[in-house]
Amino acid sequence: MKAHIERKKSQFVVVASIATELSDVMVVAKEISLAAANAKAIAYRAGEKARGFQPITDFINELARETIELVNQINEQASALYETTVKEYRYEQANKQFKTVSALSCEAVYKDSLVPIAAQLEEELEEMRYQFKNQVDQLLDQLSEIMHPARAARVIAANSRIEASQAGEFLQSLLTVAESVDKAAELMYTNVQRCRSSMAMMEL
Amino acid sequence: MKRTTLFDAGYQWIVFGRDPNKAENLIDTNQYMIRTANRCLLLDPGGTELFAPMLAAALHYAPVEEITDLFASHQDPDIISSLGLWDQALPQARLHAPAIWEGFLRHFGCEKIEYVPIEDAGGTIDLGPVELELIPAHYLHSSGNFNVYDPKSKILMSGDIGAALESPDAPMFVEDFSAHVEKMRFFHQRWMPSNRAKNDWIKRVRKLDIEMLAPQHGRIFKGDDVERFLDWFEALSVGSAVQV
Repeated sequence: MKAHIERKKSQFVVVASIATELSDVMVVAKEISLAAANAKAIAYRAGEKARGFQPITDFINELARETIELVNQINEQASALYETTVKEYRYEQANKQFKTVSALSCEAVYKDSLVPIAAQLEEELEEMRYQFKNQVDQLLDQLSEIMHPARAARVIAANSRIEASQAGEFLQSLLTVAESVDKAAELMYTNVQRCRSSMAMMEL
Repeated sequence: MKRTTLFDAGYQWIVFGRDPNKAENLIDTNQYMIRTANRCLLLDPGGTELFAPMLAAALHYAPVEEITDLFASHQDPDIISSLGLWDQALPQARLHAPAIWEGFLRHFGCEKIEYVPIEDAGGTIDLGPVELELIPAHYLHSSGNFNVYDPKSKILMSGDIGAALESPDAPMFVEDFSAHVEKMRFFHQRWMPSNRAKNDWIKRVRKLDIEMLAPQHGRIFKGDDVERFLDWFEALSVGSAVQV
């Protein structure tokens, strides 16, 4: 029983903490978007010297947009999962209480009237557990999907460094852009990875 | 859980309380049931901890599908924190509760049960053989609060008014009013916030013909003890915490 309560507690905490981790990812995605705008302006000023950098800025921008979209989708999925967790918890509590009622009412005239309602609740609880498992799987899929832009951002950062080296006096500015994309990508990777491992630790 | 019939003439009033398995740190509560031929109303059905013993006790009198109505005098957890569980057990039932508490009470879980809001002026619940009157008792102690008066049995379910803090094995009825007073004093002085609200309620209730005043904690007042209680309460100054 104690283990069951602990498991439920950890489910609530994990699902709620996903939202926190994702809000950090959202901040990072917005930073990447800003870095893209910054890089575009520098590349424009650098003209011919930063020709190779210009398409990269479009990639960075696209990456930020895609990440923001994915984070929004994951947030929706996480809040649906939270609702299911609360519902499942309530159904489990009721199921447990109905069993106690059965034991306490063995001498009551109308004890059998609870049987169909308890059976219906068991069914709904099973459905809820199934829904919970599905939602967790979907969330895990979405979390691995968001790892792609995180990895891509690191590749873009590496390419940005190479292109920056051709940009003469703009080298330092473009290297700063590359650094900020790299840092943002790393943070994103770490946060999402943390979500995935805490979900994997959850006893489902 | 102890079950005592208070009235039995065409329909019944039953009080449930003094649960021997209740945890010591939980306040003891009285739950009431009005049972007609095919319907059943539970008044202040209690906290989450009490759900199982309460439903088990109710099944001695009515099948689940005939428990059609719940009443919550106010929003406190010892009154109705079991709502989420009743919501699973009685999906077709109606909850009569103060309108101002609807958004709050739904936090306990109320998806299937229909919430029937009681407006500040009060209302009625028609159970067939009896039409119950919902008497406003605002600020005694809750800001949205009702008593239930049955004009046929002359029972007034008074919620926290008349409550006493005492041991869980206490008798169901007041036997010696003078001795009982000290068990009520602190509760009324500390939990009831307003002398104006108290006097307004007393004025309204004195117009009713009451044979039993049945609170949610402690013992039930019968006969002359009802009048004794009203006199005592009228003379008592409440809202004591502001004087600290």
